Amino acid sequence: MTTLASNPVLQQFLQESREGLEGIAASLLALERAPDDGARMDELFRVVHTLKGNCGLFDFPDMFRVIHAAEDLMSAVRAGQIAFGGGMADALLDAMDFVAQQMDDIDVAGRPGNGHTAAAALTARLRALVPAAAAGAGDMRTPVEAAAPQSARMAAALTLAEPAVRAACADPAAAGAAPLWVEYAPEPECFFKGEDPLYQALQLPGVVWRRVTTADAWPAAAQLDPYRCNLLFQAVTTAPRAAVEEHFRYVPEQVWIAPVEPPAAPCADPERAAEAFAIVRAQGEALAPDDGAPWVPGRVLAALATIRGCLRAIGRADLLDDLEVCVAAALEDAAATPLLAWIERHTQGAAAAPPPPVPVAQPEAEPKFGRRADDQPAGRILKVEQAKVDRLMNLIGEMVVARNGLPYLAGRAENQYGARELAREIKAQHAVINRIVDEMQDAIMQVRMTPMSFVFQRFPRLVRDIARRLGKEVELVLEGETTEADKNVIEALADPLVHIVRNALDHGMEQPDERRAAGKPAAGRLVLAARQEADRVVIEVADDGRGIDPARIRQKAHAKGLVDEAQLGRMSDQEAVNLVFLPGFSTAEAVSDLSGRGVGMDAVRSAVDGLNGTVQLTSVAGRGTRLQLTLPLSMAVSSVMIVESGGARYGVPMDLVVETVRVPAGAVHAIGQREAAVLRGRIVPLRGLNELLLLPDTQRRNDADELAVLVLRVQGQNLGLVIDDFCGVMEVILKPMAGILGSLATYAGSALLGDGSVLMVINPKELLQ
Amino acid sequence: MKQILIVDDAATVRMYHRAIVEGAGYGVTEAVNGVEALERALDAAFDLYIVDVNMPQMDGYAFLRALRGQDMPQAPAIMVSTEGEDGDRRQALAAGANLYLVKPARPEGLLRHVRLLLGEPA
Repeated sequence: MTTLASNPVLQQFLQESREGLEGIAASLLALERAPDDGARMDELFRVVHTLKGNCGLFDFPDMFRVIHAAEDLMSAVRAGQIAFGGGMADALLDAMDFVAQQMDDIDVAGRPGNGHTAAAALTARLRALVPAAAAGAGDMRTPVEAAAPQSARMAAALTLAEPAVRAACADPAAAGAAPLWVEYAPEPECFFKGEDPLYQALQLPGVVWRRVTTADAWPAAAQLDPYRCNLLFQAVTTAPRAAVEEHFRYVPEQVWIAPVEPPAAPCADPERAAEAFAIVRAQGEALAPDDGAPWVPGRVLAALATIRGCLRAIGRADLLDDLEVCVAAALEDAAATPLLAWIERHTQGAAAAPPPPVPVAQPEAEPKFGRRADDQPAGRILKVEQAKVDRLMNLIGEMVVARNGLPYLAGRAENQYGARELAREIKAQHAVINRIVDEMQDAIMQVRMTPMSFVFQRFPRLVRDIARRLGKEVELVLEGETTEADKNVIEALADPLVHIVRNALDHGMEQPDERRAAGKPAAGRLVLAARQEADRVVIEVADDGRGIDPARIRQKAHAKGLVDEAQLGRMSDQEAVNLVFLPGFSTAEAVSDLSGRGVGMDAVRSAVDGLNGTVQLTSVAGRGTRLQLTLPLSMAVSSVMIVESGGARYGVPMDLVVETVRVPAGAVHAIGQREAAVLRGRIVPLRGLNELLLLPDTQRRNDADELAVLVLRVQGQNLGLVIDDFCGVMEVILKPMAGILGSLATYAGSALLGDGSVLMVINPKELLQ
Repeated sequence: MKQILIVDDAATVRMYHRAIVEGAGYGVTEAVNGVEALERALDAAFDLYIVDVNMPQMDGYAFLRALRGQDMPQAPAIMVSTEGEDGDRRQALAAGANLYLVKPARPEGLLRHVRLLLGEPA
């Protein structure tokens, strides 16, 4: 350590840390008075965390140990594993006094005095306060987290072990199994747990090469703690994986096992090359192949820049030629697949990374790393590019339209050409093709079906992080994760759901003390549930938080000029609550970093509308809020009711149709400015389709003087759409309106009918606004 | 001169990282949280980002996600995190980082990675 004057970073450290220490002391005293102040607790944790990070830059082991122990304790408190209590504040204050003392030493002498004994005592005291379940959580290194340095270390070490590996690969006894790389990192405190890591490493079966190295660089002799284990054992073994795992069965988390491939051709600087290839490989790890999300192009470009840098740095720019092509393809489709394929091809020869962890619920398990087909599990899984499935789906869509042409043909055979026999045969053939096409549709849907867990699995972590940041306690309950829906639907749901959950945590859930005061359990409950209902999938997000106060919403909507007095007067509380969906409405008083970043509930609603779904919001003040999203299982084929009005045919989406009725003209009453009829004991407002489409004709009645009415459920209300006549239900491929008609919200899209004519499908939600 | 944006709420860490990369001849700009970092990134093009995880107002994950969502030239990002509860390599990569390093990053290690990502010869 250099002297203070010549080290501005050290000066900065002392200054920032002293401010931090003052803040910590003040927070601790405040928390003694109000232990439930979550925001204070968060602030305190952040300062301690920063202090630890800063301290880690220097070689002050005593100070670091004490701060680390303090951070672990705070972390357990914040995670709700222990309650903040008096003894804790004392221990933390003493720990901070020690840190301040060490800083004064540094200020005077440029280095801390010997605080080894004091640090050990303080650390033990702080650790004693952490419950057993939480202990070590801060130190836990899952094999995955440490995979990067491990694979890099492995690649580096293998260059030393190369002859042994080659020999092992050539060894007939080991044929059929690649030798395994084993890295065993005993935990630092293992000597106090009755373990003998050296004996453990020596007894490993089938070893063809091994060495012992250090986990971290040795500290200076004065700071060396001989009771801390700092060893790292590396070995190449031909023993079967099961035997290795059995051997280390008591310390699985300290062992990393990976298959070894014969080393690639040597290059000028093998360690640097291995490191570079490890980084290249990592670029593909977290890129979902067909994300379709808005940040995909950005991430693809960043990965490209990274790969380019790594390969140039090791003089392998020759590999870059076809990379540019892949990236162009990836950007064109906004999908990462071409880039992933490139990474896969070019890192085969490099260090074998362990396969990324795949949650059990995910159907697309990564194939195990390795080149032998017999590694494959018995239930063969075929990975298919989305584009191929999409093409198949489009073809089936065209098939549906072509099939729908057959009944017309039969009609013409009979009526125009008088060939009744032929018409009958065409109809019979139609029935056969009909069945096959239906099954094809079903099959392709099955291929595209994705379980809800695909979206749900991100929430435990997200909720935990957000709740922690807000100082709230939240218990997340996931239900119906196996519910399936079409890939597009599931993927399009991800962002709206994240937004809804953030809102629930940010605005809905109260701080623990507020909840206790309201007589509720301190931990809020957030339920994410999915279920299938007929051909729809229903997703609910329910919290038991403070609910939405209709009075506040009314006031707010009025203040923002979204509704006028008269409208407010007519509104029920539940309707008022639904005003949050209006564009430009945001209840967040303060813009936090979680929600309220200009993306409101209106964005959620438009996303769901785009999927042809509906949103319902119900809220009871003080009891909680429930959002219900109802979506079609798939968006490829839609059922429409074909109706006739004003001499033309229109389609109405079947999922909004409640019933079709014929209402006697005498049963239509004028209520206020509008007409309505009483159906099943409820008043249903009636609107003529011609009037809505600004057509001059009046709606036609049948011979019995009845009006044809299509009862629709729009935004939670029943409305009667008066038309001229019903013409049946048909499955169509709905194409969204494009070009100049794209701005017509009145129509949901158009569909091609079997006789070659185009059917306009209306969008009742827009039409009946 | 290649430009690096260092994003960290701890002044000491910013200074430490700055000292390492400035000494190797790179230009440095600092930001104290994700919001400020995003403003800087939209203002001028950087060749590399070195980003902390835990920051007030907008953390490193949110910053990277927002950055990768922008329609502009993209540069590699190194995410540095103190190992432990919030040091999650996969989460960093999924947010748009290209490399995950555990703090404290030793000078030679950090510099080696910076030079790799920027395509400098050994």
